Formats: sequence, C-alpha cells, structure tokens
Amino acid sequence: MMQSQAQAAARLDVEPAVLVNIYRQMSRIRAVDKAIQAGLSGGKFLFSYWPMTGQESIPATISQLISKRDYMVTTYRGIHDQVAKGVPLAGLFSEALGRFDGVNKGKGGSPHISDPSSGSMLTTAIVGGGAPIANGLALAAKMRTEDRITIVNFGDGATSIGAVHEAMNLAGVWKLPLIFLCQNNQIGEYTPIPGYTASKDFASRAAGYGFKGVKLDANDVPAFYQGMKKIIEEVRRGEGPIFVEALTMRLGPHAGVGDTKELSREALQAAKEAWPVPRLRAQLIEDGISTEQQLAEIDEAARQEVDAAIAHALAATPTPREETLIDVYADPSVPPRRGHYPRREAEAEPGSGTGKPMLMLDAIREAQDLALEQDAGVFLLGEDIGDPPGGVFATSRGLQTKYGPERVRVTPIAETAIIGAGIGAALVGMRPVAEIMFNDFAGVCLDQIFNHAAKQRYMSGSATHVPMTIRMMVGGGTGGYGAQHSQSLEAWLLHTPGLKVTFPSTPFDAKGLLLSCIFDEDPCVQLESIRLLRGARGEAPAGDYRIPLGVAKVRREGSDITVVTYGWQVQESLAAAEELAKEGISVEVIDLRTLVPLDYHRVLDSVKKTRRALVVHAATEFCGFGGEIASTVHEELFSTLKAPVGRFGADFAPIAYCRDIELNQIPQAKSIAARIREVIAFK
Amino acid sequence: MTTQLTIPRLEMSMTEGVLTEWLVADGAQVNEGDPIYSLETGKSIQEIQSPASGRLTQKARAGETYPVGTDIGEIA
Repeated sequence: MMQSQAQAAARLDVEPAVLVNIYRQMSRIRAVDKAIQAGLSGGKFLFSYWPMTGQESIPATISQLISKRDYMVTTYRGIHDQVAKGVPLAGLFSEALGRFDGVNKGKGGSPHISDPSSGSMLTTAIVGGGAPIANGLALAAKMRTEDRITIVNFGDGATSIGAVHEAMNLAGVWKLPLIFLCQNNQIGEYTPIPGYTASKDFASRAAGYGFKGVKLDANDVPAFYQGMKKIIEEVRRGEGPIFVEALTMRLGPHAGVGDTKELSREALQAAKEAWPVPRLRAQLIEDGISTEQQLAEIDEAARQEVDAAIAHALAATPTPREETLIDVYADPSVPPRRGHYPRREAEAEPGSGTGKPMLMLDAIREAQDLALEQDAGVFLLGEDIGDPPGGVFATSRGLQTKYGPERVRVTPIAETAIIGAGIGAALVGMRPVAEIMFNDFAGVCLDQIFNHAAKQRYMSGSATHVPMTIRMMVGGGTGGYGAQHSQSLEAWLLHTPGLKVTFPSTPFDAKGLLLSCIFDEDPCVQLESIRLLRGARGEAPAGDYRIPLGVAKVRREGSDITVVTYGWQVQESLAAAEELAKEGISVEVIDLRTLVPLDYHRVLDSVKKTRRALVVHAATEFCGFGGEIASTVHEELFSTLKAPVGRFGADFAPIAYCRDIELNQIPQAKSIAARIREVIAFK
Repeated sequence: MTTQLTIPRLEMSMTEGVLTEWLVADGAQVNEGDPIYSLETGKSIQEIQSPASGRLTQKARAGETYPVGTDIGEIA
C-alpha cells in the first residue's frame, strides 16, 4: 500500500501529457511488434526477427527527453528504439522487407537501420560493436561544441565483450556526452544471468572507469522517466558519460516469435505482470489521466499507422540486383570487376626544383599538418601521437604542439576504441585520421574496420558513410621486431569490400596519397612500411598536392618482364632490375601505390608490352595479392604471354626474430632477381 | 479477409520445419494470438500464435516436414 502510494506520487510528478506520450510511443512499438510477429507466423514476411517485447518502455520514455538532433546507436534487437527515435515506419518496414525505398535501400535490413534524419545513426548486429562508434559521435558533438547527446543502446549480453569495456574507458577519459544504455533484459541470447557473468550488476562497473553508473527499473515508467531526465540533463551539461542499467525483461525468444523459452513459466508470468505496456495503460486509467476510450483511440491510431506502413512496404519495389555494386563506395567504378579496368588520370608531374628532400616520415607528417590546417573536421587519434614523442615513428611530431590536444588526440592502448571513435566522428562528417601502430594490431580492431567502417555505406544504402583514414605501420625486413610486429596483412583488408588501401613506396607518394585518403569519402587504410619511414628519402613538393587513388606508376621501364609490386618491395624490385640489366634482362617495374582501387589498366598495358609478369610482395605468397593479379593477367592476356605469370611473396611462416630467417623469408633483391630469371627462362 | 498460414522462417538458418501438431481443430474458430500449431525447428518446438481471428482451415497434415513458405492453412 505504502509503495503504491509512493508510486502514485511519483506519477503525479510527471506531466500527465508526458505519460500519455510515453504510452503512445509504447503503443506504436507494440503495434509494430505484433504486426511483425503476425506477419512472420502467417508467413507473410520471411525475415529474421529478434523481438524486443517487454522492453518498449525504455525508448518510449527516452523519446520524451531527447530530440532528433541527439544521436542514437542501437543493436539488431532495436526496432523499439527505431520506432521511438522517429524512423518513419513505411521506410522501416520497406527496409525489413528488402525494398528499394527502405530507409537503407533494402541493403541493411532491420538489423542495420541508419536514419540520420531521425538521429538513428547506426545499428549493429555485432554485440557490443556500437559502443566504440557512439564515442565518436559524442566526440564530434563535443569538438563542435554542440549540445547533442549520444545514447548507445545494447543488451546485458554486450557487457561481456571487450569493445564495450574499451569504449567505456575512452568515454571516461574524454568525458564524452554519452549515455551507455544497457537494456538489461536478464538474458544474453539463450543464456540467462548468471550463466555468463559473476557480476552482481552492471551499473557498478562504470565506477571502475571513473564515471557514474545508475540502475533504474524501466518497468516503473514514471520513476524511469524521472531518473532518465536527471541523467540526460547531466550528460547534456557536459559532465561526462553515464552508464544506465535499465532493468527490463525480454518476453520473447532470442529470435523468432512468441514467448521466451529462457524463463520458467512462473518467471514469465511475473514478467508479464510487470510489463509496462499494459501496466502504464492501467495506471493512466486508474489515475484519471486517460479514459479507456482515449487509450483505445491511441492504440487504434498506432495500428492504422502500422497497417499503412506494411501495405506501403508490401507494394514497394524489391531492391534489384543491379544495385549490387552501388553503395560499396561513393564511386561505383571502384569495386573490381572482371573485364572492367577503368583508366584513372595520373597526377601532374611535379616541376623540377619544386621539391625538397625528406624522409617518408616527414612526408606523412606534412600531409597530416596540411590536412589539419585546411579542414577543421580533420583530427588525429592514436597511441602516443602527442608531443613528446609525436608518434612512435615521429609521424606526428610537433602536430599536437601546433594544433592542441583536442585535434591531435592521444588514446589509451585500445585499438577497437580508436577505430570506433574514428568511425563515429566520420559518420557525422568529420575526417579522422587514426594511427594503428602496427599492421599486426589489425587483429584487435578488425571488427570495427571490416564490419563497421567498410560496410556502413552499403548497409545504410549511402544514408551514411565513413570518410576516415587509418594509417597502419608495417614491419618486416627491419630486423628483430618479431612475429607480432612484422607481418604484411594487406590481403585481410583487400578482401573486404568497402575499404580503399594505399601502400606508398616514396615520400612523394606517401604525402600525396595520404592527402587523397584523408579527403576521400570512403574509409581508407594507408599502409606505411617502417623500413621506408626512415629509409626512403626523396623529394616532395611543399604544400598540398594529391595523388589520385587507383593510379599505378611505372618506376622503371623495361621490355622483357613486368614486375608488379608495392610498398617496400618496390625498392627491392628496382635493385633486382638494376642487377639484371647487367645480364641484358630489361625489367619494367610497376608500383601499384593503391591496392584498391587497383589500376589493372596500367598493369595490363605493361604486360601486353613485355609479355611476361611477376608479382612481388612482402606478404605470404600463399593466398596473397599476387594470386589475384596473376589470375587476372592470365585471364586477360593468356594468348599474349610468353610464360606463366609468377608470384613471389614471403614463405608461409610467421616472421622470425632471428636475422638470417627474417631477411630471407621475405623477397629481397637477390631472390627477386632469381625469380625473374626463372620466369624469363620458361620455354 | 483470408489470412494465409505458411511455414514461417523463425531463425536465420531455418529452411524447413516439422508441423508437429495442430492445436486447433480443422474448421474451429480461433482468436488472434491463440496458439494454433506447434512447429519444430532444428533447435526447439515452438507454438505458433494465430495471426488473425476467424475459422481455421487446415491444408497440411501434422507430423510432416515442410519447407519454409509452404502454405499449410488459412484463417477466414
């Protein structure tokens, strides 16, 4: 009795109209959920569905406290979040049904909704994958001194994964205007608590990262509203992130329709009694705020809105297969296609005397300096990139001193958080440049790169895109970095539609390519050989110049064989060519410079002339990029070739620490020359 | 208005299901939300709720496996 009086008092503290609006949103969510489940059960729809039945009150309540300007990130179990955020239902159902007029052209589907017009920025189907990206959205708002907040929704199951922990740590240290909204429905997919964690709760984890955690009962709507109101005000005032553990229940199964099977009959019954949809409805009548008639009208309006949206979606055109290669990149000519080898215009040759001699690391620093100078949206982030030391390879030395710690941001040692923050900021138009110290560390942030950065344009039907740049240093051939700091892993990236990849071999190219990457509309990865950072000296003009992506360059002309290579293997190949010239073998060396988009046009032109080819790279030969290039040359020029196209890459072993193995397991001038002789000798 | 009943796709990997049992007799009246038949997929048996109210016409026998999308009945 006491409790119910207290609850009634709490209800009275909330404007009646707000409670009715919350109910209206819950009614809309409920109508969407029911229609989807009926459509699936009846066989009218054939798609995967992860019901959020029971969790309606969370976004319905928050919808009364935020606006479309505020950013949201959510998960595949997030239709309730989308509905309450204001994603248009016709576009939402069209998307779920794979229709061309869906909010994401039917390419993302219900688990990948992005609708910037309502502030729904990204929906991930990778558990926990949204939290690092939400940091970037919040960072962009903070750097632009906007009053927006960001809310990232995830389930309790996501509290186990590293991405969420990395994101919480970074949000804490950067005091981001962000709410980590854990919709704790007590079950991680098919495994209820405490099957997957010994934690007593999740809210208390925030203290470990230096910010506030709050536990709220989302089933008590008025109290939840009061709690969230304070939290949102605090975050909007710029007092840093807050972790909210919103207690709720998942009444449905992980996927499919009907009741959850992870709860006992009794527990399910209790959960249904606490379910805020019928509970708030009854309270509104009990407190005299609404009549049964008024609420029935709200329910009917929701049903009609949903029916109209479904009728629209069912009649809409399914997304046609002609769309396959659209939205992979901004430019539809970028995806490689057999038989299509566009010729892209090369850059103008720099006039003589315009350059100044520099190391590759200086060229990279200059490119970043110029980008920071000319565009306020450009910022750098990475481990140790501040002064001192200005990056472990000095590629940003002096830049933090010049541009300040906001734009040259030192991060924790947390690559997933670094890439995620870049993605989020890029989603709203900033141009982050993230440094990943070693290519080998791709392993600890690959989900952000290949599931999020690379796929977001496609999954969102170009509603959003990710104009970020990732610089990764590549070891190998330097002696003694060992197996975890020496590998060339470009093939991992090249196998991922949506990424562009550059791999310069000279200071001139490193600067011009990096500037092109930074101002490109798609996510770019620039691979930078550590051997070249300090070992390649050359001239590069002062000031801004761009090298177009997808233009290879002939480094040495020849007539007997074309060596196709890139990165630090260019130097080795040129040395091999010099050696072979003494034997009367004329070698043409092509430096690809950009690996995606790949300049097959110039490669094929060269091989048409020389009628022999060898592809050389530092990555393992087996399943390396050489296989791809050799195959295409065979397919296009089979009858012209004098010999099978050769591949030459590293032996299939981790890079060894000991010098004798390391320097010989990767192609070098002598072994490249030997391999060229083999191809030439073919009869 | 007639509502078709077809074998739903309840899981990403689901291609077929066993209609284990009709829970409502052929020709009987059902209400929207009533359990109408049981469906066994690779993982579990699930009671499928009626997407509409009306009279059920069964078109497929219980105890057999049907591909996703098979027409198994209607509610009129």
